[in-house]
Amino acid sequence: MKSNNHIPHPRFLFSERLRTRLFVASMAGVAITIAGLFIAPERTLPNILLANYYLLGLGLAGVMFIALLYVSNAGWATAIRRVPEAMTSVLPISALVMIALLLGVHTLYEWSHESVVAKDHLLQAKSGWLNVPFFAIRTVVYLAIWLGFAYAIVRASRAQDAAEGLHSTITNRKLSAAFLVVFALTFTVASMDWIMSLQPHWFSTIFAIYNFCGLFLNGIATMTVIVILLRRWGPFERIINESHLHDLGKLVFAFSTFWMYIWFSQYILIWYANIPEEVRYYTQREQGGWLPLTIINVVFNWLIPFLTLLPIWTKKSEGVLLRVCILIMLAHWVDLFWMILPPFMAESPTVFLWEVGPMLAAVSGFFLLVFRALARYNLVPVNDPMLQESLHLHT
Amino acid sequence: MSRRLLVSVFGTEHDIVGATNSARSAGYDIVDVYTPFAVHGLDRAQGITPTRLAFVCFGLGLTGALAKLGFQIWTSAWDWPVNVGGKPLISIPAFVPVTFEVMVLFAGVGTVLAFLLRSKLRPGKRAPVIYEGATNDKFVLVMAQNDAAFNIAKVQELFRPFSLVSMEERIEMVKE
Repeated sequence: MKSNNHIPHPRFLFSERLRTRLFVASMAGVAITIAGLFIAPERTLPNILLANYYLLGLGLAGVMFIALLYVSNAGWATAIRRVPEAMTSVLPISALVMIALLLGVHTLYEWSHESVVAKDHLLQAKSGWLNVPFFAIRTVVYLAIWLGFAYAIVRASRAQDAAEGLHSTITNRKLSAAFLVVFALTFTVASMDWIMSLQPHWFSTIFAIYNFCGLFLNGIATMTVIVILLRRWGPFERIINESHLHDLGKLVFAFSTFWMYIWFSQYILIWYANIPEEVRYYTQREQGGWLPLTIINVVFNWLIPFLTLLPIWTKKSEGVLLRVCILIMLAHWVDLFWMILPPFMAESPTVFLWEVGPMLAAVSGFFLLVFRALARYNLVPVNDPMLQESLHLHT
Repeated sequence: MSRRLLVSVFGTEHDIVGATNSARSAGYDIVDVYTPFAVHGLDRAQGITPTRLAFVCFGLGLTGALAKLGFQIWTSAWDWPVNVGGKPLISIPAFVPVTFEVMVLFAGVGTVLAFLLRSKLRPGKRAPVIYEGATNDKFVLVMAQNDAAFNIAKVQELFRPFSLVSMEERIEMVKE
């Protein structure tokens, strides 16, 4: 039997050409963003927040996915675990940008102006939580906790490549369980702080889970894109079979539907109750140019992925799955745009350089860092006890 | 009416998958394969076509959703109009949760019933044991001898690479 359990050591070669292209694209994005900060800061800053929240979400989804695998003792995805591990390499830079964004707090958040709060009873009532020093402290604390967990989990997994035994697996199982609990609590308040407080009069108790499903849906879609690319380029050709694609497709399908479920849950309660300070959020997004974006958001994030991934063969098809996942990556940007920008663009959504630049920097920077991390380590966790189960996956 | 069956017994899962593959490639009529546990790849070896239950499920889900949506519109806007909070009589968002639930109910229960009906299963149905070892450690392939040209020696020759434990002929009475 030993001969059957051959351990492959595929490596990913990050070609000079791809590296240069991604680097140039991300630098162009950064240049546009910096120009935007001088020319139109009040439009560029929300877009930096958007792009960075998108980037941070990808990194967090990576840690989330690894942690889920460990706590559920799941073997199917062990062979692709290096992909979410590589995704976490964007966390330090996105954390730095998030902290740098604290400098723009007065442009982004109306509750940060004392003159505005002085005239507003609701904001005064909320000022115990929504004030600049406490906001800054919380931002740093969330990011420090997430970075600490991500670093420890990924380091233990990579260390296993050079070590025998179950030490890393047992360590990571404990770290993952702790991370999931801590993440659920911290991300709940973080999403309220960074995104919900852009419209500080409005509130929704389901907002954090809505943000979480968008984050995780985009995370697994992006992970699937990378897995399929690695399969097409060769390193994953003999490692990822149809069953892996089927499982990833099922996850994308499930979380797309879950996203819709939560979207609607938030909508129907506010629509039913019809309380002015709550319902204003949706009336604003149903007027003018925002209505088409509301529809596009639902169609791209749920309707098209749902109908496309319903039959079994599309979930197993590399081409179809890749296209749906790229659509979801775009749709998540639409979703965040729809959440973040209405207070800054009252009339209708506009997309110009200041909207494109930060996203270009975030997405090309993301792929640059992820491919660099993938090229640096073994492409599969060679000493993981679950690797054989994953290589022989058959559903 | 009756049909002649050929029951071949194998010792391992690799043998049963290999033998089933060769039997199908050689064009024999495979009645069924009995194994003590689920064997990966056997469905493909038997040449079982993908289930059509998914279409039944989709159709029933659609039927349930449309029926319930229609019913809610009829009750709340046509048969006994009730003004709720000044909202329009036909307020689709309010109808969505119940529509969703009934869609799931129709699709879920209906698919199970369709499966039982199509595979002629019912609670308490007696399952014929074709070979007792098939519930323990043996893997059993059953083929139908459809024509006079069926030659057992040829089948034995075909199964030579796989460790055949035993082979016997059986006559099965088929109810019309």
